[in-house]
Amino acid sequence: MKCAPRALAAAALLLAPTAWPQSSPEQQAKSLLDDGRGYYAKGQYKQALDNFNTIVSGFPNTESVDDAMLEIGRYQAEVEGDIEKARGSFESVAKRFPQSDSAPGAYYHLGLITLDKARSGAELDDALAQFTRVQRLYSKSDWVPRALSAIGLVHRKAGRLADAVETQRRVTLEYPTSDAAALAQYEVGHCLALLGDARGAMEAFQQLRNAHPQSEWAARALERITALYRLSEGTRPFFSHDTGWSIGSGDVLKDVDAILMTPQRTLWIASNKVKAAVPFDKDAKMGPSLGAEDLRSLSLTPKGELIVASRLAARFGKDIKSFSVPTNKPGEQEPLERITAALVLPGGDVLVSDLKRKRVHRFSPRWEYKGPFPDAKEREIVRMAQDGEGGIALLDADEKSVRVFDENGKPLRAIATKGAGYELKKPADIAFDASRNLYLADEETGVMLFAPDGRLLAALPADEVKKPRALTLEPAGALLVYDEKTQKVLRFK
Amino acid sequence: MRRPKALALAVLLALPPAARSLAQSAAEVQEMPALQELMAAALNEFSGAQQSRSIVQWDELVTRLEALRRQAPLSPRAKDLLVQAYEYRARAYYGTGLQDKAAENFRALIQLQPQHALSKERVSPKVVDFFNNLKKDLVGFLAVQSKPAGAKVSLNGEFLSLTDFFPLEVLAGSYQVEITREGYKTETRDVTIAPKVTETLEVDLMRTLARFAFVTEPAGVEIWMDGELRGTTSGTLAPDQHEAARAAGLEPTRASARFELPNVTLGAHQLEFRRKCYETVKRGLEVPEPADFDAPPVKLQDSVGSLQLSSDPPGALIFLDGEAMGQTPRELERVCSGKHRLEVKHASGKFVQDLTIARNESLSLDCPIRPSLAFLGVVAASAAGERLVKEAEERLVPDLAKIKTLNFLTVPRELLDRLLESERVSLKGLIPGPGNEPDTIRRVTEKLAAALEVQGFLIALLPEERLQRTAQLHLLAAGNTVSDPTSVTFSESASYLRFLSAVDQKATAYRPWSGLITVDTLLHDGVPVLRIVPGSPAAAAGVKVGEVLYAADGQPVKRTADLLRAIETKKPGDRLALQLRAGAAPRALELQLGVTPQEVPLNDPALLYNKVMIDLRQQVDGYPGTETAAFARFNLGICAMHFGDFAAAHEHFLKAKVELPNRPGLSQGSAAYYLGVALERLGYKREAAEAYKTASAYKEATLFNNDGPAVAPLAERRAGGGS
Repeated sequence: MKCAPRALAAAALLLAPTAWPQSSPEQQAKSLLDDGRGYYAKGQYKQALDNFNTIVSGFPNTESVDDAMLEIGRYQAEVEGDIEKARGSFESVAKRFPQSDSAPGAYYHLGLITLDKARSGAELDDALAQFTRVQRLYSKSDWVPRALSAIGLVHRKAGRLADAVETQRRVTLEYPTSDAAALAQYEVGHCLALLGDARGAMEAFQQLRNAHPQSEWAARALERITALYRLSEGTRPFFSHDTGWSIGSGDVLKDVDAILMTPQRTLWIASNKVKAAVPFDKDAKMGPSLGAEDLRSLSLTPKGELIVASRLAARFGKDIKSFSVPTNKPGEQEPLERITAALVLPGGDVLVSDLKRKRVHRFSPRWEYKGPFPDAKEREIVRMAQDGEGGIALLDADEKSVRVFDENGKPLRAIATKGAGYELKKPADIAFDASRNLYLADEETGVMLFAPDGRLLAALPADEVKKPRALTLEPAGALLVYDEKTQKVLRFK
Repeated sequence: MRRPKALALAVLLALPPAARSLAQSAAEVQEMPALQELMAAALNEFSGAQQSRSIVQWDELVTRLEALRRQAPLSPRAKDLLVQAYEYRARAYYGTGLQDKAAENFRALIQLQPQHALSKERVSPKVVDFFNNLKKDLVGFLAVQSKPAGAKVSLNGEFLSLTDFFPLEVLAGSYQVEITREGYKTETRDVTIAPKVTETLEVDLMRTLARFAFVTEPAGVEIWMDGELRGTTSGTLAPDQHEAARAAGLEPTRASARFELPNVTLGAHQLEFRRKCYETVKRGLEVPEPADFDAPPVKLQDSVGSLQLSSDPPGALIFLDGEAMGQTPRELERVCSGKHRLEVKHASGKFVQDLTIARNESLSLDCPIRPSLAFLGVVAASAAGERLVKEAEERLVPDLAKIKTLNFLTVPRELLDRLLESERVSLKGLIPGPGNEPDTIRRVTEKLAAALEVQGFLIALLPEERLQRTAQLHLLAAGNTVSDPTSVTFSESASYLRFLSAVDQKATAYRPWSGLITVDTLLHDGVPVLRIVPGSPAAAAGVKVGEVLYAADGQPVKRTADLLRAIETKKPGDRLALQLRAGAAPRALELQLGVTPQEVPLNDPALLYNKVMIDLRQQVDGYPGTETAAFARFNLGICAMHFGDFAAAHEHFLKAKVELPNRPGLSQGSAAYYLGVALERLGYKREAAEAYKTASAYKEATLFNNDGPAVAPLAERRAGGGS
């Protein structure tokens, strides 16, 4: 049936309207950019990348192209982990679009890349220079509060905690509604905690909760306050056995070498009886396990992936890796066959402790051998832990001590075999809380808590845990201990 | 010597307006300057060696004036010119020996103006005699007497004189004589005047209207008859009438002089006696006969009320119906009843209201002073947008007038143009942005604000865009150099709501305060007290660190947010009931909330900082010397920092540092710290370090509010060169 011409025109008009606002390249590019950012936020990285690439190739003369290039750089850094590619993208944005809104973002990300890898004072200064450039050259940009907060991170990494507090405070005072404000306030609390000002830290975390109740940092602040309150308020740190709590049963709790609580409150139990690392969610429901022989230790990568170290290999997320190190003979490699622990450092390097060679070995992110850590001295390292501030603790079963080194191998502090109020006889496991307090499980003398300066802060009563073999901490500071004697995981809140 | 035209014009202009306009036809008005000039030239010629040469000019003058006379009766001035023209022409002819011609002209003159006489001083006796002899044959005399005298006598409709008059020269002929006097019946007589003969008329006029005399108390009373104003009493009563006035119940010293109201027609009338601030008196009047009457005295009762005015802030100037009446707070007594326009003006704004006061009413009025915002108009960024300026203005103004917390007013275009022209700046030049000098904007807006008595401005800019349906509203506080731009869409009232809501948000420098610092933990059912600010309400109430707060005003407190919410709903001075637990032992406390000053957030995208500045300036101007003003000035410094104007910030903090109290919390030390920040941003590093050092001495000063971070450690770091 033919429509009358007037009706046809009306129908055409009805069909057409949404087409008009999308017609310009500028608007199309903007739409792709907004959608791409939305995908990225939801974790749909491939779709996001497709959008950004389409803008760069299909709309190269629009105002969105610099933003797209910046987002591509972010993808390369955060998703692909290809730092060099990311650096190239950011440098390209800064060079080609120096007056754009994205230029300060490029410098900011370049600063983050530098900060991430920085191990020396000079490298930290480089990172600082990038962030300061954002402040000075783009003083009205939205990136300024983020850059200022990043300067605070530089100070923290350099150990200048008071400067870090002051810088982060400036972000919260001068840019209270920026998207950097919540993190900055968290950093104020964190740095105050590292400085030993527990009350100041709690107050700062509470200010975060008051000012940014919906932010992801608010929940973390609650956990930090709880942990700090437990340790600092009252006359001594207070732990009481949570008798109403239990987890797992049967063979899972037999022959356990390690336990680990993730930030998402999943408790992993490495049981050599069942030859698997078994997860339990926050409702104590068991999940699919990861099978392995001779399980030794559990830890997390900086991105939060599980590391399961077993005697012959280590699993990093989904990848299983065995390790070889050069022998005295040139060109010859020897596999590591008595692995006790594995760690991934913030810069990407991997540390693997081996009892056969009695050394900790360092590998690059591409698994290239870099040498012994911290030095060539022989040590029987059975556990390794990171304190969150660049400190790497090595538990020496032979020396019965804990030594903390920085990433460059410089010694920072130590827990000696004997000290005021304690003696280490058979140390089995270590863990740090967010304030760098060290928890140590000694199969003979029990569970102890040490301040960052090595002072004993507390010890669990001996009758509460018979033979502590492994321990871990909940995000809010409650302590979980595997008692080998009773074959139970005990909770102390 | 003045040019004749100018002289003529001067003569014309010298005449009173009434005379100029009397019976002047349009043609006469147009011709008069030329005629004046011709008269002057003719007189000049006449005075010269050969009088006869002036005849040509007199001819022209007579011709033109007679032509005008044929079209319409001449005005007295024109008639006078014609009379003079005839006289001089006649004399000129006489001088040349053409007596017939002279006689002809003299006759024409006499017919035109029978009473005309030649000046014996200026004219030769021969000519005078010649003229008089001619006249004798042409004129007679008429005398009219009337009872009462003072009647107007007209001959054939043309006014002659007022009775009683001696015989006047009248051209011989027959006339209808009309004798009229207001209040009397008009009499007409037919009379024939023969040359050299005197006719006398005696007329008794018959009265037709009454006359009333009034005395009022007070004087200055308007007398309205049948809805028409007939006069106003005035003066003072003659002493010989005091007794009679007293007997009539009047106070003689306040009574008016006798006021005579003539020409009152017979019959019934409605009288009203009105005077501002007095009760109107109404009377009926019955006039039985045309006679003189003395009306009973009229006493008006005063009709006033009183007005008690107060304002916030006080010390505002009061203007009632445009008249200055002092400052608030003030009681105005004897305010006339009726409608009034009240304006209460302060440096920080004004209050305007139309009000009505009834007799004996005592009206109390609080006059909250509001800053005023002037809408200066719409400008287009491009030529294409010019066509939409008018439409934009018509759509914008009604919506913008909904602003509640400011007096919103539009500025007459001519006034604005004049003001801008005097400063050599365009309206677009007042919108901060590239190409517009901040110093010019500051200077001009300050001057405009003073001239218009406003505190801020709103300018709408139509941006360059295809659709041309949006406007960018630039809100600018007087003297500021950076505006707050907001985009609105004409047809969408939702877009205005956002702007209006932001404008109507009032900057508050204070909020209720407890001094109780609690934290959230997963260890407690309630919130443990972490810290108590010394000297705070919580300290005074006896709250202890470590106690766990679990209820406030009977409502459970599970998180600190619950406590903060409970406090926010209250006012300083209100009480808050707390339920606490120390160990297992519960206890109840009552806390009286104090007040903490509050910093304006430095960069809050939801705030219109220019509006915040207008509010803060109101506090500075309205409460000088008070803590309120000091904290407002402190916050003005914060606003200046928001705009990147660190020089202005420096000035504000310098003053605030002196004005603020030295005590725990937001105080002098806080201003000292920000002074350092401003100096640092201005590049004065050494002075900044000094300021920080000074600030670090204020051990109990805080930033943000009384619970905020301590100034001393921050200042110490920055004094030491921390970044």
